[in-house]
Formats: sequence, C-alpha cells, structure tokens
Amino acid sequence: MRFEGTDRYHLTPELREIVNIAIALEKPLLLTGEAGTGKTQLAYEISRALNLQMEDARCKSTFKGEELCYVYDTVLRLNDSRFGSGSTGRDVNDIWDYLRFGPIGRAFRSEDRRVLLLDEIDKTDSDTQDNLLDVLDEGSFVIREINHRVAAKVKPIIIITSNAKRELSDPFLRRCFCHYIPFPPPEEMVEIVKLHYPDIPAPFLDASLTAFYRLREQGYEKPPATAELLDWIGALRAADSQGPGGGKTIAHVGTLLKRTQDLMKFKGIRKPSRL
Amino acid sequence: MLGFVYDLRKAGIPVSVRYILEFYNAIKKGMASDVDSLFLLARLIFIKRVEHYDLFEQVFAYHFMGAQQGLGAPDWDELLAGKPFQEWLREELESGRLSPEELRTFSTEELLAKFWETLLAQDGEHHGGNRWIGTGGRSPYGHGGLQGGGIRVYGRGLHGTAQKVIGDRRYLNYAEDSSLTNENLRQVLTSMKSLRPMGPESELDVDETIARTAKNGGEIEFVFQREMRNRLKLIVMLDNGGYSMDQYFMLVKTIFQRIRDSFKDVSFYYFHNCIYGTVYRDPVRVHPVKWENLVNQGKHTRLAIIGDANMAPMELMASYGSLDIYSNERKPGIEWLQELRAAFPASVWLNPIRKEEWEYQSTTIHRVGRVFQMEDLTLHGIKNAVAYLNAQGQAFDRM
Repeated sequence: MRFEGTDRYHLTPELREIVNIAIALEKPLLLTGEAGTGKTQLAYEISRALNLQMEDARCKSTFKGEELCYVYDTVLRLNDSRFGSGSTGRDVNDIWDYLRFGPIGRAFRSEDRRVLLLDEIDKTDSDTQDNLLDVLDEGSFVIREINHRVAAKVKPIIIITSNAKRELSDPFLRRCFCHYIPFPPPEEMVEIVKLHYPDIPAPFLDASLTAFYRLREQGYEKPPATAELLDWIGALRAADSQGPGGGKTIAHVGTLLKRTQDLMKFKGIRKPSRL
Repeated sequence: MLGFVYDLRKAGIPVSVRYILEFYNAIKKGMASDVDSLFLLARLIFIKRVEHYDLFEQVFAYHFMGAQQGLGAPDWDELLAGKPFQEWLREELESGRLSPEELRTFSTEELLAKFWETLLAQDGEHHGGNRWIGTGGRSPYGHGGLQGGGIRVYGRGLHGTAQKVIGDRRYLNYAEDSSLTNENLRQVLTSMKSLRPMGPESELDVDETIARTAKNGGEIEFVFQREMRNRLKLIVMLDNGGYSMDQYFMLVKTIFQRIRDSFKDVSFYYFHNCIYGTVYRDPVRVHPVKWENLVNQGKHTRLAIIGDANMAPMELMASYGSLDIYSNERKPGIEWLQELRAAFPASVWLNPIRKEEWEYQSTTIHRVGRVFQMEDLTLHGIKNAVAYLNAQGQAFDRM
C-alpha cells in the first residue's frame, strides 16, 4: 500500500515519504502547521488515492473521547421500553440495538482498512487526548455498559491534525509521528495553483502570487494561506479580472483577509486610539 | 547508530528508549533504503516538536553525511559581518579592553578566538537567549556549539531599569521543559484544582430517571445533571522582557512547569515590565491579545501575574511610559493594572523578589502591591497566593 498523491493535491516528496512510513509502521500521523496548509485535505486525498473509506471526526472542546468510539442511547431505550419500539425492529432487551458507533468505533469494527481523521485534536482538553491515546495505541476500546471490548480488525490509517491552539501533551506526541507542514514557498505554490486552475496564464499567476506573498509578509493577525489564495484566484477569474491589482488596490481583498481588523489595517484605517 | 542517539540527547532533544526500539524495528523492516528516507524516518521517530527540527538536522548531518558535507566550511565573512561579532567588537573597543592599535595586530583567527572566549565565559550565567551563533549549520564551532542551549552575546541591562530598550526584541522562552521537580509546589498548586458541576444539564442521570419513572407508574421522567468538569481557568501573565527577570529564570521555570497540568485551561501571556493594554500570546511578543477579549473571561477565571514589578517609576505612573518605542499608549501603566484587577477579582501578583527585599529594590513594587495582592515566589508565598485566590474565587464560582 503506497500513497503516491492525487491529481488534486500537491504532494512534496518529503510528505509522501512521511505518509508512507506512517502507513507502513501503523503509527498515527500528527500534522501540525499553519491553517490552510492542507492538513485535513491530505487525509481525504489518502482515502481517495488508496480507495479506502473515510472516517472523519471533527473534534469539539466538549468531547470526552468516548463519543468518538460509541454512544449508548439511553433515552431511546427508555422511550422504547415505555412506548414500544414499534416497527423499527429494535429489541429493547438487546443493548446492541441502542449502541451507536462513532468514527473510531466504525473504523475499528470495519472489515477493511479505513482512514481515520481526528481533525483539530487541540480543541479537546488534555484528559480527552489521554483517553484517545490509549484507544488508538491499543487499537481497542471497552463498551463500559456491557464490558465488551471492541478491538480493531484492521488498524486504520490514522491522521491527526492540530492547529496548536493548545499544546499537546508529551505522552500524546510520543505515540505519534509528528510532522510540521511548512508554508509552501512560491515555487511549490505555483504547482498547487496549477492543480486547481490548470489553464491559468503564467503572467496572471505570477502577479497574483507576488501580491499574495507580499500581503502575507505584512504581519496580519490571520495571514492569508493557501485556501484563501485559491478562493481569491477563483474570485478574480470569475469576475474576469485582467490582473490581481497591487498595493492598496488588490481586487476582492475580502477573500484574502478575513478579520475586520486586518481589512482595516490593509485599507489604512487606524484603529480609534483608546483614551 | 547509538552514537547518533546519544548526540541527539546531548543536543538537548529528549529521546526515550521507546524511540530507539521503534527506530530499530523500522530499519529491520527495511524502511530506510537510502539516506533520504533514513533522515525522514529518524525525524518522525525522534522529533516531536518543530522547535527541534534544526538541531536534529545538524546532528543528522554530522553523523550520517559527514561533517564536511553537512556542516560545511565556516563562512568567515558572514560571521565577521554578523551582528553578534560586530557588537562584541564595539563593546570591547568602547570599554577600552581592546585598543584600535591592538586590533590591527590581531589576525582574524585570534580575534575570533577572543570573541569566542568571551562568549563561553558568559555562557554560564546567560541562559535561554535568542542570539545563537551559527544556526543552520554554518558555525565553525559546529557540533560543540550545540550544547548548553545557545549563547547570548548582548550585555546586561544596567541596574534593571533600562529606560528605552532599543534593538532586537529579546525574550526568554520559559516554556522549555526542565527536569526540576518540586513535589511540594505541585501539591500546593493542585489544591487549586476544583471539580464542580458546570455546563448545561446535559448528562442523563440514569439511576435517578429509572427511580422516578418507577415512582411515576411507568411514565418516563427524565432527570438530568450537570457534567462534572474541572472549571478552573487560569491565566498566567509572565514578564519575560529584558534582563531584570533573568536571575529569577530558573525559579519561574519550575513554577511554570508545575502549573501547566493542574488546571482545565491555562493560558500564558507575556508582557514586558508593565502592562499597557496589550499582552502577547507568544514569548517573542509579536501576537497581541485583544484587551476586550482578555478582560471578558469571566470573573471566576484566576489570574496570576508573575513579574518583579521592578521598573522605572515613569513606566508605571507617567503617560506614554511604555518601554516599547513603537508604543503610543497614553494611559499610564497603573491604570491598566487597575482595570485588569477589576476584571479579575481572583488575581494575585507573584514576585520573584523576596518579600524582605521589596522596599529596597524599587518603589514601584509597593505601588503595584496596592493594586494587586502581592506574594513572593517562595513556597510560603505561593501557599498564601493560592489561599487568597481560592477565597476570592469562591464568591464567583457559585455564580
């Protein structure tokens, strides 16, 4: 099983090698780096290229970890016991009819190998991360209510992403392969844009990238990243612009800078000073 | 191969036995067919933080690619033109340790040797500086230069009261791991942890629901309870500017490590000497945090400010007193501090200077102490601070 990239994703040889090492050694791959560098996208492309089903878990701060494995629907069961399950085919006496599996549960129970994405793991608190760590490391979890162990039939390919909102704990890092995706330099960016807009004229692309990288250097709170660049070029082309403009006249700048403050800074409006 | 692992450790990268086994297993599986994949494999297994990438590359180059290829011949011109060397030279000439006549008699090598000597002599007392000699493998001192965590070249601030700090922003990165342990301290800090029901009533109390339902004659009655979560949020603001905090570095570092895992959510912010409407999310102080967001964290959030409160009286009391020459804040620091205090009723100022010395050190300590409850960074002081925070915080925890 080797991942060679897809037609939609620009894969550096380094990243390709890393993904393949992680797949071969069955280790979770933790991707960090600036937002918009294609961390989440990579997981989707792996699933597409290797033709494996995707299990996507978007983390929230309220997660305790267990719901990613399974949820036991007590309310439904109580309801069925009171009012009957009717024609749904559920049996109140059978707990399995009231267990629903989360992304991790589904990936473990599946007969074939799946890609498991834990997106933005840093949003969860450290207890949750510790819980998940054991589950992923052992490839199994226990359904507490019936003390049943669900073990992975095939270990999924695990991709974890983090925007480093909070630091991940050392034990967590220790069990992953960690890779920091650097922001692509202009040469690579040309390739990336060409994947999405194959017919883009070279002078147009050059001008856009120059404006883009200059904008990035100006130290905005949320500097525009790859995703914003692609949106912007899309907007420019949809509007049939002749060029991206420059300096203070960049067209559709709203697709590049998202924060009001950044936009105000770009337009040269000073923040009302605090007195 | 083991030599490589030891050199990684020597360079300050934490390596566990687990990694070594993983590495051997991977090699046995034939994962490293060429130098490139060996490099990536080793990095994946041994390096978990992007901060260590650079060090790793140097050690790897030294070991597997031969020193000539990896570290290269020293780029003398670059080193001689570099800022650290130039600064050193200027300081030597100004202080008269080196006369211009003498200078001409030295060869480049001799001069560099002298320069290096000064640096090594300084290394003992200056830790964590951000000036490194020869990053990226260009240093002629190459491998040996990795040890000891870098060498700072700039001089010390005079009397701790620099009026305007001009030049590069310097910082001390307190976030570094350190093996120091202090179990007492840990216990004290853990006592701040409070598990209280909070959040929406979203957890179904199954036992109670069944009991009530039975009482109800089979009519379902749901009973919900609040989730138990550790609700304590803590904000730590650290004065990491200039040199006035330097001598307290190790002390603060220990505390820093201890607090991190005792709370649900700990945010660290950084400032320099006094707070003027902005604190920063990173030790280098480039990403500011919005004041509005900061003061609207809720009254039950605990705030601990760690700083020596030792500044020029002007910095605290005068308009436009900020040390940052780019700042045009009009409001004096003391007013900002008062605002902060009002936003966080459960707050405390921890001062690394011992209590007995406060009045001799600076008048500003006393003034800041009138705004914030101030304790020193001794075990006793921290116990007081924790007790104070708990007492102050309790009124708001019930809200």
